[in-house]
Amino acid sequence: MGAAPAAIESLPGRSQPSGPRRILVYQTLLVVALFALWEVLVRTKLLPVYLYGQPSGILAKAQTLLAEGDLMTHIGATAFASIVGFLVGTTLGSVTGLLLWLSNTAALVLRPVIVAINGVPKIALAPLIVVWFGVGLGAKVAIAASLTFIVALISVYQGTQEVDEDLVKLMRSLGAKPLTIWRKVIVPGATPWILSTMRLNIGFAMIGAVVGEYISSKVGLGYMIYNAGALYDLNGVFVGIFCLMALALVLDAVLGKIEARFKW
Amino acid sequence: MVNAPVLEAKQVTMAFNAGTPREVVAFRDISFTLRQGEILAIVGPSGCGKSTLFNVIAGLLRPTSGSVSVDGTLVDGARGHIGYMLQKDLLLPWRSVLDNVTLGLEVRGTPSAEARDRAMALIRRYGLAGFESARPRALSGGMRQRVAFMRTLALDPKAILLDEPFSALDFQTRLILQGDVKRIIREQRKAAILVTHDIGEGIAMSDRVLVLSQRPGTVKAIHDIDLGDATDPGALRRSSAFNEYFDTIWRQLDGHAQAAA
Repeated sequence: MGAAPAAIESLPGRSQPSGPRRILVYQTLLVVALFALWEVLVRTKLLPVYLYGQPSGILAKAQTLLAEGDLMTHIGATAFASIVGFLVGTTLGSVTGLLLWLSNTAALVLRPVIVAINGVPKIALAPLIVVWFGVGLGAKVAIAASLTFIVALISVYQGTQEVDEDLVKLMRSLGAKPLTIWRKVIVPGATPWILSTMRLNIGFAMIGAVVGEYISSKVGLGYMIYNAGALYDLNGVFVGIFCLMALALVLDAVLGKIEARFKW
Repeated sequence: MVNAPVLEAKQVTMAFNAGTPREVVAFRDISFTLRQGEILAIVGPSGCGKSTLFNVIAGLLRPTSGSVSVDGTLVDGARGHIGYMLQKDLLLPWRSVLDNVTLGLEVRGTPSAEARDRAMALIRRYGLAGFESARPRALSGGMRQRVAFMRTLALDPKAILLDEPFSALDFQTRLILQGDVKRIIREQRKAAILVTHDIGEGIAMSDRVLVLSQRPGTVKAIHDIDLGDATDPGALRRSSAFNEYFDTIWRQLDGHAQAAA
C-alpha cells in the first residue's frame, strides 16, 4: 500500500526539484541564443550596427559605465524613485479602495471621477507635475505615485466587491457593525487583490519613474536612455533597457516572495 | 415534560411589492412553535418560500404581517440571538479553525481567552481536536461544515437555523453529519429548525416535520415523528415507520405539485 505514492512521485519527468532548474536552463539558453544570433547578424552586416547596436558593444559600454560609476547611480536613482512612488501610490490607492467599501454613496459619487482620471495618460499631466514638483526626484515620484494610486484604487475596490456577499450577511447575523465587518472580512478578503495589484504596480511605478526622467531629470536610467538615444549611442540605449529589465525582475521577485507569505 | 417555547411564529406572511399590482406572496399565515430541545424540519417544494421564511426567522427580513418571537421577545433585526448554518460553510479562509470558531464571540466582544477556551472545548468534544490551527483549505467538506456548526454553537444561541446545511456534501458524509448534528443539538439541549427539500433528512433529524405547500406557501401539515431510539442514520432509514412518514409527506408534496400543473 505505502509504496504506491512513492512510486508515482519517482516517475521520470514528474519529480519537482529538477523542474524549476530545467526551466532556468532553457531560459538561459534562449537568451544566449538570441544574443548570439544578434551578434552574428550584426557582424555579417545583415543588420547595421548604428541602428541596432551590438551585444559585444553593449557589454563594453556597460563595463565602461560601471567603471565610471555612472551606471549604478542611474540604476539607484530609478530604483529609488520607482520604489518610493510605488509605496506612496499603492498604499494610498489600496487604503482608499478599501475605505470606499464603507460608503456606497461615496463610491458611486466618485466613480466617474475615477474613470476620468484613469482614462488620462499620465504623461499628459507632465507639465503640471513639473510645475508642482519641479525637476528631479519629486516629479518622478509624483508620476509613479499617480499611476500606481489609480490602479490600486480601482482593483482593490473591485476586490472589496468580490468578497462573498454571504460572508457579509453572516457577519451581520452575528451582530457585527459595518466597521467590524470591514476590519474582519473585507480587508483580509481583499488582500489577494492588494497583492496582485502590487505585482502590477511595480511595473507601473517604473514606467512613471522613467517617464519622469525623460521629461525632467539629470539622473536615472530614463535620463540615460534618452541622452544616449539623442547621441545615437544605441549600445548605451540598450544598456539602459537591459538594466530596467533586470530591475523589474528583481523587484518582481521581491514582491513574489512577499506575496507567497500571505497565501492562505 | 413540557418545555418552554423558544421560538414562536404567529401568522407570518411575507409579500414582496406588497400593495402593488406586482405583489408576490411568498408564504402566508405560517404559525408554529418551537420548544427547547426540539428539532423542527420545514420541507416544501422548491419555490415555496423556504429560504425567505428562513430569512424572516433569522431577522434578516421583516415580515409583511405576523410576528416571530424568540423567548417571548419580538425578532427585529439580526442580533445574534439565533445561530445559523447554511449550505455554504462560509469559513474565513485566512483564519485557522480555532479563529473561525471564535469569530462570533469576537464580534460580541467576548474576552479572547474566554472565547478561545469555549471554542477549544467544542473543538475537542466534537471531533476536530488536532485541527484547530489548520486552515479551512486543508479540510474536507464535511469537516468544514463541522467547523461552521461549532462556530454557530460557540455563541450559545437560543435557537439554531439550519438551511440545507448538508446539501453540498456527498451522500455518506451527509448521513454521518446529519447524525452528529442531531446528537449535538440534543446534547446541548438546543432548539433547531431545519429547512430542507430532502424529505428523508427532515424525518431522520427532527421531532416534527412541517410541510409547506406550493407558493404561496402555507402550512399543509405538521407531522410528529417518532422513530424510537434509533440513532444510526442507516438503520433509521430502513425502519418501516420512516418509510410511512416518507410516503405520507411525499404524497402531500407531490399531490400539490400535480394540482398546480
